[in-house]
Amino acid sequence: MAEKEATVYIVDMGRSMGERHHGRPMTDLEWAMQYVWDRITATVATGRKTATVGVVGLRTDGTINDLEEENFSNISILFGLGQVLMSDIRKLRETIKPSNTNRGDAISSIVIAMQMIIEYTKKNKYKRKIILVTNGTGVMSDDNIEGIIEKMKEVNIELVVIGADFDDAEYGVKEEDKDSRKAENETLLRSLTEDCEGVYGTLEQAVSELDIPRIKVTKSMPSFKGNLTLGNPEEYDTAMTIPVERYFRTYVAKPISASSFVPRSGTEPGSQAPVKGNAEGDALASVRASRTYQITDESAPGGKIDVERDDLAKGYEYGRTAVPIEQTDENVANLQTFAGMGLIGFVQKDQYDRYMHMSNTNIIIPQRANDNASLALSSLIHALYELESYAVARLVTKESKPPMLVLLAPSVEADYECLIEVQLPFAEDVRSYRFPPLDKIITVSGKVVTEHRNLPSVALKDAMSSYVDSMDFVTTNDEGQATDDLPIDESFSPLLHRIESAVRYRAVHPNDPVLDPSERLTEFAHPSEDMVKNSKSHLEKLMSIADVKKVPPKTKGRKRQRETEKPLSGLDVDALLSLEPKRTKISTENAIPEFKQTLSRAENIDAIHDAVQQMAKIIETQITHSLGHSNYDRVIEGLGTMREELVDYEEPTVYNDFVRQLKGKMLREELGGDRRELWWFMRKGKLGLIGKSEVDSSAVEEEEAQEFLAPN
Amino acid sequence: MVEDSYTREEDNYEDEELDETSFKSVKDAVLFAIDISNSMLTPRPSPDPKKHGDESPASAALKCAYHLMQQRIISNPHDMIGVLLYGTQSSKFYDENEDDRGDLSYPHCYLYTDLDVPSAQEVKQLRSLASPADADDDVRQVLEPSKEPVSMANMLFCANQVFTSKAPNFSSRRLFVVTDNDNPHADNKGMRSAATVRARDLYDLGVNIELFPISQPDHEFDTSIFYDDIIYKTSPSDGDAPAYLQPDTNTSTAKGDGLSLLNSLLSSINSRSVPRRSLFSNVPLEIGPNFKISVNGYLLLKKQEPARSCFVWQGGETAQIAKGVTTLMSDDTGQEIEKADIRKAYKFGGEQVSFTIEEQQALRSFGDPVIRIIGFKPLSALPFWANVKHPSFIYPSEEDYIGSTRVFSALHQKLLESEKLALVWFIPRRNASPVLAAMIAGAEKIDENGVQKIPPGMWIIPLPFADDVRQNPESTVHRAGDALNDAMRDVVRQLQLPKAVYDPSKYPNPSLQWHYRILQAIALDEDFPESPDDKTVPKYRQVHKRAGDYILKWADELKLQASEMFGGSVAATSTLVKRGAKTEAAGEHPSKRVKVEDSAPGVEDEVKKSYAKGTVSKLTVAVLKEFLHAHGRATAGKKADLVDRVEQYFEQKF
Repeated sequence: MAEKEATVYIVDMGRSMGERHHGRPMTDLEWAMQYVWDRITATVATGRKTATVGVVGLRTDGTINDLEEENFSNISILFGLGQVLMSDIRKLRETIKPSNTNRGDAISSIVIAMQMIIEYTKKNKYKRKIILVTNGTGVMSDDNIEGIIEKMKEVNIELVVIGADFDDAEYGVKEEDKDSRKAENETLLRSLTEDCEGVYGTLEQAVSELDIPRIKVTKSMPSFKGNLTLGNPEEYDTAMTIPVERYFRTYVAKPISASSFVPRSGTEPGSQAPVKGNAEGDALASVRASRTYQITDESAPGGKIDVERDDLAKGYEYGRTAVPIEQTDENVANLQTFAGMGLIGFVQKDQYDRYMHMSNTNIIIPQRANDNASLALSSLIHALYELESYAVARLVTKESKPPMLVLLAPSVEADYECLIEVQLPFAEDVRSYRFPPLDKIITVSGKVVTEHRNLPSVALKDAMSSYVDSMDFVTTNDEGQATDDLPIDESFSPLLHRIESAVRYRAVHPNDPVLDPSERLTEFAHPSEDMVKNSKSHLEKLMSIADVKKVPPKTKGRKRQRETEKPLSGLDVDALLSLEPKRTKISTENAIPEFKQTLSRAENIDAIHDAVQQMAKIIETQITHSLGHSNYDRVIEGLGTMREELVDYEEPTVYNDFVRQLKGKMLREELGGDRRELWWFMRKGKLGLIGKSEVDSSAVEEEEAQEFLAPN
Repeated sequence: MVEDSYTREEDNYEDEELDETSFKSVKDAVLFAIDISNSMLTPRPSPDPKKHGDESPASAALKCAYHLMQQRIISNPHDMIGVLLYGTQSSKFYDENEDDRGDLSYPHCYLYTDLDVPSAQEVKQLRSLASPADADDDVRQVLEPSKEPVSMANMLFCANQVFTSKAPNFSSRRLFVVTDNDNPHADNKGMRSAATVRARDLYDLGVNIELFPISQPDHEFDTSIFYDDIIYKTSPSDGDAPAYLQPDTNTSTAKGDGLSLLNSLLSSINSRSVPRRSLFSNVPLEIGPNFKISVNGYLLLKKQEPARSCFVWQGGETAQIAKGVTTLMSDDTGQEIEKADIRKAYKFGGEQVSFTIEEQQALRSFGDPVIRIIGFKPLSALPFWANVKHPSFIYPSEEDYIGSTRVFSALHQKLLESEKLALVWFIPRRNASPVLAAMIAGAEKIDENGVQKIPPGMWIIPLPFADDVRQNPESTVHRAGDALNDAMRDVVRQLQLPKAVYDPSKYPNPSLQWHYRILQAIALDEDFPESPDDKTVPKYRQVHKRAGDYILKWADELKLQASEMFGGSVAATSTLVKRGAKTEAAGEHPSKRVKVEDSAPGVEDEVKKSYAKGTVSKLTVAVLKEFLHAHGRATAGKKADLVDRVEQYFEQKF
């Protein structure tokens, strides 16, 4: 539960805030509001009712406050402390404009803000804060400033003063030719904040730091509390039991999720310019999902019938067999387990491959307030550390949960000790895909070759080595010394923060386009300029030795591989094929191989046409005879093969003519009835016309090809 | 549960190759073609007579097929598998009638298990064939070898027809040939060339023939006699995939006695059990500005979960899965809506902030897929804790850039030698959220049968962002003294895993295996297995035998240091109030002396006594909960549930 908050923003709206200074493209007020809106929307985004905000206008044309005294004129409470909603943001946006006056005392506005907070928060526990944003040009009086300071400390309010063009030696801002009154005001405000132990800063810094993403701190709850055991305490008197707790060490923060909506009825459906701004929130209706269940029934029209949810049993698939599980033994397929972390054995650190890490990581610490457990776990941590070992354990976090295998590594810091835990793969989690070695080539006959176009030469290896060595990624600590760390603390989830800031930006600027991601978020998208400069010569050398050539798009694909279409022995099967007496006509049952072989043997264009004709006929017959979708996969495979081959042979016209006809026949239901489903499969498989981009000689423009596949 | 399924969906999405260019469906079909001949049926005796190692090559092959079938039901529930026996006396091909001898299309070919997603019944049938000694005569008859030789051309065409009709348009179709005959048509040239032609048909159809040769006791299998004319260099479905030929032709030729034959065949088949599907293909690996090579990505490590439960309709003759259909409706009108009309909006300040679909896409886009190196660091810079998910594996491809392989190899060798990692900006697919990742080189690993276990290549390990790092909770540190650490070191030394290394293949996932074992039992109406074969349970006896004494020594030292460190103040610090009592009780209850639990031994005793007297229900909820928690049992529910659970605990134990 986060602490309750009461924050009052005092926005200087005086006439001078409407001016532009020092060549900035925006007025002081616009500049200041970048900061204020960012902070307010950040609070709104939390959605917390207890994160309350108030807004006070300083140097406003009118006066809206309870202290009806001359000193407090031209100060308006624009929004009393409370949760800010979208409608409030819209109202405030309308209200906060430069006024026509420069009258109004900043110090008085602080008093009003204090008054607001004291009244609202009473004696309750709150995080109290006043943020004043001003350009410091108005008249300020230091009457009773001590009283203010005293009160501020008494009720524990943090005062933050942010000023446009305020001097800040630390940040490196100094305004030349500063107005003497402004200089006086700055001195006054600075000493005031210092006396209140508040924060005093220049607006330039505040705005520049807006794009540093703010990290949401999540308090971790233990995901397991139980015993770390070695041996079985239920069975042996030599078993070791240490009560421990488990917490997240890493856990991926997810971006806020969007919900689905549709334009509310009454607003024109499909109108592309959605009503933004004021009416936005009301124009959307939420979407509900309803689920129905169907089973296959060949006798029913459409082959499917609806069944009631209540008539269905829970179950699983075992291969293609449906296995219902009676309600009474619903848990029968679950392995019975009991919570606990049992050590299985120990492994050598240098024998472990880091890529076996399967999950996020957790930490294991001793049970709270159990000194013995802490001492016992400490000895395990240190023993592992000294032996450069890791422990393998079986972890069940709760009764009946599936067991996990975890690796436990010791972590010893100056004032913290724990085990770091990560999940290991089970046998089923490892997929054995095999790949040839990278440092040698083994030929078909088993010979080992070490010089080959796919193997790096000594020169290439050297060039790579010097390039890699010239590209050290430098990280530094707070003192500027080089460290061996990865830049984890400085890297922020780009998607999470981009969506979050886009939502907040859109809330305040409903009609602006979405912004590019801030530089902070893409800082690590490219190597730094310095590194690129330093390694330039090494890279150039590497590139020239590597001699990598981009494959022109046209020659991609299977054609290049034609030469390898021979069995291992290198036997010329094509020669044998041509001797086969039977293969003059393409047979239905062996259509695809024979089609390919006929094409490869074709000596003239007529032979190709003839092969396509035969194939076309086979495909049409398959469609006509298809009961429902029974032959569709074969049809798609045949069409796809035809298309691929004819692209390779650069004969787009024959295919295009055929597929045009086929589409017509299918949609006219001339091939055994309604074949729209098949047409949908063809669209999905992109089996439409062969366009110019695929084969130069095609007469079909890209638009036409796309049009052809468009849903009718 | 909601969250579980949510994350799983996301994972599945990631798992799929989003190949928009291909018309083929991403599925795999494996058809075993097992040679049935006298030599294949002759058991190879085991050298150790005590072990039941007598195994004929044919039964080893059938066991492998059965094993693979079971395994794929778990790992690839939508892929197909079939078994074709050839060289058998009897023949079977779909509806063809055995009696019309003359008209059989494929004599001596017996399609034992049709190519399909296996049903429970087929699993059972294959199992009975794999251990024919226990099977009926009917089953054994199937394995009667033919007196006349089978035509290889015919067998290959039979396989062709099975693939053509049962697995059309699959992206991966493979024929696993298991035989010990390296010269099927020794003296018939015509038959040989017919076979090579049929093999070419399979190649053109996109079927990959994979040979599992078995050497005869007195004769090494020689692929060059016949099979080199049948098998092709490249995989027809994945032309760019680097062929891995070595084990096919050399080392993995199964030979020797029954058991080692079975094992080497298993390991060789296992290594090819999954078709190679890429996670992403031809993504540029940008080594420096304007210097790119292309790589393919694969998921070699991926958590295998049991398939989600579904709804089963039992109204018909056979139970069938009911398919859920979701319709989306507008909340205000209740009318059905099209996907295209849906807008995405975020809740903000009590309202919705919405974006058009184009804007939503723009927000998610951070550029084209890329693996861009932004610098190098020593491997030691990668902390153990800096991990959020499984890694991706990459291997070079020559598809987009000629020369990718040699450059990749140079980088791979350099990173291995210098023990460095590359820091990369990683966008695996269009519109995927970018991550910062560590790219490390992995060396090739070979198992004892000469089959590759871990391929050479690079691993991309996504790093946590600052947002993903949690703060350590507060914890008190009491550093153990040297003597205690020494005592623990002795314990650790005693209990190293074999070769001090974690080998995943030794640990099948017990809950996954149990789940499917039970489903199989239900589907086949068999008795449930008594207890699971759980390899992950620690070997308690071994711990006791090898390290028991050391643990006791450690416990004594712990007690000593604890009393020195905390002394009388222990009572004040925590719930350890009753520690004093426990120490006294230690003599009586040696079984508890190693525990450092905070729970009072009193609870343990109290519950035990109550159970003996049958008065567990008189205990307080707090005591029951404490007892259950200490024994890893759930503590939720009403008091009656807790009492039940405590009683169950004792019943199971004694």
